[in-house]
Amino acid sequence: MSPSRTRLVRYYALLPVLGAYLVLFLIGNGQPDMWQLVAMLAFYCALGQAFNLFLGMTGYVDFGYVAFAGVGTYGMAISISHLSAVEGIGGWAIVIGLLLGTTMATLLSLAVGAVALRLRGAYFAIATIGVNEGLRYFVEGARIWNGSDGIIFSRDLRLIFGREAATALSTFWADVLVLLIAALAGVVTLLFMRSKIGYALTALRADEDAAKVMGVNVTKYKIMAFITSAVFAGLLGATAWALKLTYVYPPDVFEIHYTVEAIVIVMLGGVGTLLGPLVGGLVYGLSKYWLAVTLPGFQLLIFAPLLLVIVVLFPEGLVGVLKKKIGNRPLGKFIV
Amino acid sequence: MLGEQLLGNLIQGLVLGCVYGAATMGLSLIFGVLRVVNVGHGAFIMVGAFTALLLFNVFGINPILAVPVALLIGLGLGFAVYYLVMQRLVQAPELASLLATFGVGLLLEETVKQVFGSEFRGYYWSVGQLDLGVTVLPMTKLYACVGSVLVAVLLYIWHRKTRAGRALRSVVEDAEGARVCGVNVNWVYAMSFAIGIGLTVLGGVLLTMFIPVGINPYMGGVYTLKAFVIAVLGGLASPYGAFFGGLVFGIIENGSYTLLATIEGVEPFALTRALSFIMLLVILLIRPTGLFKTK
Repeated sequence: MSPSRTRLVRYYALLPVLGAYLVLFLIGNGQPDMWQLVAMLAFYCALGQAFNLFLGMTGYVDFGYVAFAGVGTYGMAISISHLSAVEGIGGWAIVIGLLLGTTMATLLSLAVGAVALRLRGAYFAIATIGVNEGLRYFVEGARIWNGSDGIIFSRDLRLIFGREAATALSTFWADVLVLLIAALAGVVTLLFMRSKIGYALTALRADEDAAKVMGVNVTKYKIMAFITSAVFAGLLGATAWALKLTYVYPPDVFEIHYTVEAIVIVMLGGVGTLLGPLVGGLVYGLSKYWLAVTLPGFQLLIFAPLLLVIVVLFPEGLVGVLKKKIGNRPLGKFIV
Repeated sequence: MLGEQLLGNLIQGLVLGCVYGAATMGLSLIFGVLRVVNVGHGAFIMVGAFTALLLFNVFGINPILAVPVALLIGLGLGFAVYYLVMQRLVQAPELASLLATFGVGLLLEETVKQVFGSEFRGYYWSVGQLDLGVTVLPMTKLYACVGSVLVAVLLYIWHRKTRAGRALRSVVEDAEGARVCGVNVNWVYAMSFAIGIGLTVLGGVLLTMFIPVGINPYMGGVYTLKAFVIAVLGGLASPYGAFFGGLVFGIIENGSYTLLATIEGVEPFALTRALSFIMLLVILLIRPTGLFKTK
């Protein structure tokens, strides 16, 4: 095998990931009544991929992860509601919204990183819960960004794009963007894994002190993963929540259950694997959908013991188990 | 005028703070021994609240007598959860134990919801009140406060003066060493977890004596968050620290609410909560061992 070929082999694992997102898109596009389901699955996969970039790579449990999606949502909402009256801005309002959302998520992750990433384990988890809840109540209490009244901007969206395009934007293009975000987060995950960053983070996850002693700049790589993951969350908030729902309320976007869902997806699929969030997102989304249809009102009652079974019996997740089974066989190149 | 109101609210805060403290000791005890953060803490508070509610409304038993019942229910729940779930996760990464305790909490909430529905309930127990001039304290609140102090003292005696308490302290110090010296470490973990849950469920009863309305399956979430702040104030790993953390939290919560309410154009209730989380972050950053000196 030529050197370039071996290098390429290292990225074969992207094929199943990108293929799955393409298939998901084609199914939804071909079957309009499936689009809702596809959109939901895309959201969960993207949430998992984005969260995995930090949680899976570093082993740090960010219980306030949803805060990044929250500020991303606000970024888009602020952009659209302020720019709708400006002449000639048109679709650029969305681009500015995406930029604002990611900037806000980056700034928040820098602030949180400076404070919370000094802490480890349970202390880090509690600190990040504190950030998320603190932010939510600060927005409500100090009445910034309209406080608890939230921002409703469906009218502004119609003002910019007209009724039809605005509807298409929130019922179709927002979901397409979410799929793209999921795919992009997958690509970045593999790029991380195959570079120095991935090795440093693996060392950090196994034993932070040992990694430090060996000369790995753990803080730098930790913050890199943290910011990257936060940026994807911000994008996700700006698209899956802001563009799709066209409103934002603090209790909705700073809701801790999304963080827990993200953790469940990553863990169900396999912590720190590339395919894990995809598999986890699909399995989680499909079972949630199926339970909502067959046993409405009982989803969480069934979900809770399942969660416990996964944590206790299959902590390495579906992809983790699969990887162990397949090992070094040729197929293993595709499962990372 | 504001001064009187502030003083009255601070007294209320102090009394409530005792109850907060007692309701958080279980969280700290469990973290101190097992290094597990009970994310389902609030759900156990909710179980306590429902215990008090049902005993009062169905059997006419007053909430003071519900306290030992709640302790027993909590101990049973604690042992069951430990042996079925937590036992395998004590050495696992945080991710597993955080998710597991969340799952247990969710299971409790959903079970209670299926049985009792999700509407808010309450009970009415009136045994007179105490007029302090600046504020009026219902006797139920005083009972809850006294009960909380009593629980803290009893925990102290158990922790310091009994054989089981000594075994527990040895495990906290050095689990391996304790094992070598013949301490049944798994049993100590089980016992600590059960007592921690017992204290939490009991704390739920005491809290309803303070706030007898607003009982529903999902009432616990806010107490989980408050308990995190309180536990961090007390150093997270120390039950007594948590008790004093509760006092501090009760006073700050009520005091800051009174002061923030004087500012125009803000929502003092939400801002008070925001302040408590800012406090949490500041303490984690500058004094992660808590406000108080521990031995």
